[in-house]
Amino acid sequence: MTATPHAATPSALPPVETPESQEDMRLLVAGQWQLMWWRFRKHKVAMVATAVSLLIYFVAVFAEFLAPLPRDHYAADYTFAPPQRIKLILEDEFGNREFHPHVLGYTVEIEAVALRRVFKPDPEQVIELGFFVDGLEEYRVLGIFPSRKHLFGPKDPTQPFYLFGADKLGQDLYSRLIFGTRISMTIGLVGVALSLIFGILLGGVSGLFGGTVDNIIQRTIEFFRAVPAIPLWMGLSAALPEDWDAIKRYFAITVILSILGWTGLARVVRGRFLSLREEDFVMSARLDGVAELGIILRYMLPSFLSHIIASVTLSIPGMILAETSLSFLGLGLRPPVVSWGVLLKDAQRVQVLATAPWLLIAAVPVIVSVLALNYVGDGLRDAADPYSR
Amino acid sequence: MSNSNHNAGADILLDIRGLKTYFHLDEGTVRAVDGVDFTVPRGTTIGIVGESGCGKSVTAFSILQLVEKPGRIEEGSIVLNTGGQNRVDIAALDHDSEELRQIRGKDIGMIFQEPMTSLSMMYTVGFQMTEAIRLHMDVEKDEARDRAIEMLQAVGIPRPEQRFDAYPFELSGGMRQRVMIAMALSCDPMLLIADEPTTALDVTTQAQILELMQQLQEEFGMAIMLITHDLGVVAEMCSEVVVMYLGEVVEQADVDTIFHNPQHPYTQALLQSIPRLGHSHEGRLNPIVGSVPDPYHRPSGCPFHPRCTQIITGRCETVHPEISRLDPRHTVRCLLHEDPHG
Amino acid sequence: MADTATPSAPAAGKEPLLRVENLRKYFPIRQGFFGRSVTQVRAVDGVTFDVFPGETMAVVGESGCGKTTAGRCLVRAFEPTGGSILYRNRDGDEVALDALDNKSLKPVRRELRMIFQDPFSSLNPRMTVLDIIGDPLRVHNITSGSELEERVADMLLRVGLRPEYMRRYPHAFSGGQRQRIGIAKALILSPQLVVADEAVSALDVSVQAQILNLLQDLQAEFDLTYVFIAHDLSVVEYIADRVLVMYVGKMVEKAATDELYHNPKHPYTEALLSAVPRPDPRERSQRIVLEGDVPDPAHPPSGCYFHPRCRYAQDVCATETPALRPIGDGHEVACHLAEDLDLRGITDLVPRD
Repeated sequence: MTATPHAATPSALPPVETPESQEDMRLLVAGQWQLMWWRFRKHKVAMVATAVSLLIYFVAVFAEFLAPLPRDHYAADYTFAPPQRIKLILEDEFGNREFHPHVLGYTVEIEAVALRRVFKPDPEQVIELGFFVDGLEEYRVLGIFPSRKHLFGPKDPTQPFYLFGADKLGQDLYSRLIFGTRISMTIGLVGVALSLIFGILLGGVSGLFGGTVDNIIQRTIEFFRAVPAIPLWMGLSAALPEDWDAIKRYFAITVILSILGWTGLARVVRGRFLSLREEDFVMSARLDGVAELGIILRYMLPSFLSHIIASVTLSIPGMILAETSLSFLGLGLRPPVVSWGVLLKDAQRVQVLATAPWLLIAAVPVIVSVLALNYVGDGLRDAADPYSR
Repeated sequence: MSNSNHNAGADILLDIRGLKTYFHLDEGTVRAVDGVDFTVPRGTTIGIVGESGCGKSVTAFSILQLVEKPGRIEEGSIVLNTGGQNRVDIAALDHDSEELRQIRGKDIGMIFQEPMTSLSMMYTVGFQMTEAIRLHMDVEKDEARDRAIEMLQAVGIPRPEQRFDAYPFELSGGMRQRVMIAMALSCDPMLLIADEPTTALDVTTQAQILELMQQLQEEFGMAIMLITHDLGVVAEMCSEVVVMYLGEVVEQADVDTIFHNPQHPYTQALLQSIPRLGHSHEGRLNPIVGSVPDPYHRPSGCPFHPRCTQIITGRCETVHPEISRLDPRHTVRCLLHEDPHG
Repeated sequence: MADTATPSAPAAGKEPLLRVENLRKYFPIRQGFFGRSVTQVRAVDGVTFDVFPGETMAVVGESGCGKTTAGRCLVRAFEPTGGSILYRNRDGDEVALDALDNKSLKPVRRELRMIFQDPFSSLNPRMTVLDIIGDPLRVHNITSGSELEERVADMLLRVGLRPEYMRRYPHAFSGGQRQRIGIAKALILSPQLVVADEAVSALDVSVQAQILNLLQDLQAEFDLTYVFIAHDLSVVEYIADRVLVMYVGKMVEKAATDELYHNPKHPYTEALLSAVPRPDPRERSQRIVLEGDVPDPAHPPSGCYFHPRCRYAQDVCATETPALRPIGDGHEVACHLAEDLDLRGITDLVPRD
């Protein structure tokens, strides 16, 4: 073989296969996140859902600015006041029409038979609306910058403004829904974050070590999954001390929700570890002498991080729904904390609903956010493995 | 390219003309099969060879209209002559028509590289076979059962009565392939399309299956269209060979001509590049440079020109060669053999 | 290989680079709720061979014969159940690979490398070619930074790829190019011994030859020793100096390539050789078609594992397990009847010649 000329010298290289266009060139050097983004982008519904989800979280962050009224503002005069319609054009006594967004105030009549108060729009009371108006109280943007401005609201903050109507304390449902967004959307995130920690730890241990440890963890997961969720949550939240303040209760509820939430993620993580362990490129890294921790961090983790993100996104809606159901049943969060579930609790009784059907509006953001996050998760899941052929 | 007179008429079972099957993907259109013509004579074995991406499998799937979306047959005719004046253009049939369903399985049987693509795990071998038989033949359940067992026997499955009730996962790879052949032949088709039937098998099992196919052909007289990348299998089995490259037929001839007098540079290079038993002392292998281009970037002119050692600089890069007929049974698509008469 | 003085027997006077003795690897089959070990599959059951510096030793057999498991034991991707693997390192010391722990294995891993079968799954899709090939250098603290880049660039050239490609990800390459990357990764640490597990079987016909030639060129250039695991006998004949045939975890025959191909002594080898389809219609062989299937390694037959399929089998074959024994000229075979049988080699199978 000594006389064999070396074909592997540069001169004998096969012709260069250079990419034909800029776009091809970009594909050749594109990393996994770039490829995932390109694939995700093709999923139109997921893109729309992402925009919606981002908008909802934006609302959660800037609730004080977006809500016309402070969270706990109430007005006994306006108990169960119906929603007002925003009118854009104001006609003055001379018949001149001008652009002036406004709502009408209420006149109250007592209905003779039912002895019920009935609100009627009063054309005489014009409540002018404006953008960036000053509100009743000062608040802090992101908890830091003091401000009185609200995106929109009545120019005179003492006048009634009930876009989605009022509840039994005369509180503005619209403002409270906006504040509820903060609690409902973050409880999902915090709950999932806790589940993620449990899930990755236990699932990772299970998948990596196998054997008896794996067996114990898997049987535990099966046990947890066999427990009916609602009764467990109910039992646990009923056991929470009555005198806990809102914050403590909030965190206790997230912990309760993630007690069941982690099992799904643990299974995903374990499955990924098990399948990756058999991958040739992982064995190849091991043969290179890469230490076990390096294999996990540099080879395995990047391979399933995208899958984890997709699973996490898909489990947030479950958390939101769980919180909503618990609070609806009166076992989750309680006033003065405002969440969508807490708001829906007001709409529990038929009598109340007959008087104030608008209270059901609180279900709309639940549906929208759950759907949006599900679509985002679906899109992520489809894009999670950009190398599948 | 008219249908030349010497092999016209009744002995042509399948006549494929100008077949084009494209896949419309986001990244662009893949011309998987791009103008393929060839004929399958009755009762013979024709080999379709080529490397990955040459369109040999898509051609086979097109014949049964089994190409899945986003793939589509764009043009061409696939005329099946079931006897006498009975001609059907399969390409023109509706993909969901009763006529097409009768052709699949009845007139044309197909076996795949991976038997599990056509066998279901959920049902017994016998159930699947009798279903297939009763779909195409007007027989009672008992007759269908007898026919199925007879076929299992014919493909050399020991104790066919017992295997009749076995589930596919209980069988070995070689046995599954036999079952699939039994199923494909149970309605006595005129053409058996075998798509890489032995690629997933070990060499001794491959020998069994190849032997079986030859033996069954003698017994049942069907034509076989053997799709493979293995030139050894082609040489052992086929009487006619079609060589494909990037969706086109580059050369077609009888098997001896292909192996001993190939005219297309690709065929020649392919034959020189493979290691052969008993020839290891003849020196280094002669590989073809480069690799098969990816389907989105088809070279201009003759698609083989970037890898060709006999390139006519200035012409092959731009001119797409037409098919030239070197002799009645030998055609080649190469500018070196341009037909002076056009 | 035409110019090599065919090493029908290992070069005299040379110490073997690798001595494998009675290598065994059993896999437990677990069943039941708590995964108790019920029985075991003897994937590799008593394999013995030497590999000499500079030669190519091929291990052939059909799927399930244990060749891949054996190869993985050699590079200690699997822990052997029994037997010994003695490896002579660069310093000339013999180390027992089977007994080393992970830490003491690390220096050996530099000299003992592996090329994988599947060029798609063996490269991490999330790393650039530079990281894939350069990672071993980093792990062994050999070099880093721009010097590492230079070494990778140099290696890319040697395996026939352009250094400009190193910022690209594996998805940008064809199967053949990826296999070149895999080879570059294996060779970047300048190993002595390379275990190539079906290194060309996933490739297109026209690309296979490129990679085979490349492997031969690199062997000459870097004084490599190969253990070449394959099922394709025509490829093996082309690249190997000696061949070891396995069947259901056991060695059935071992000899120099020419000797084995022209003068097989085991009926299984004969059948295997006869079954290879010849790419020449004028050489249509008389293939020997074996009955039945390869037995399940969890429940192998009694005596000689091959006897139920063997056309020469006699009573003794069903009861006694034949031992591997030398029959001269470096030829070893595990068959009771080896001396009495007149088996056909590749030339006898072809009518011509």
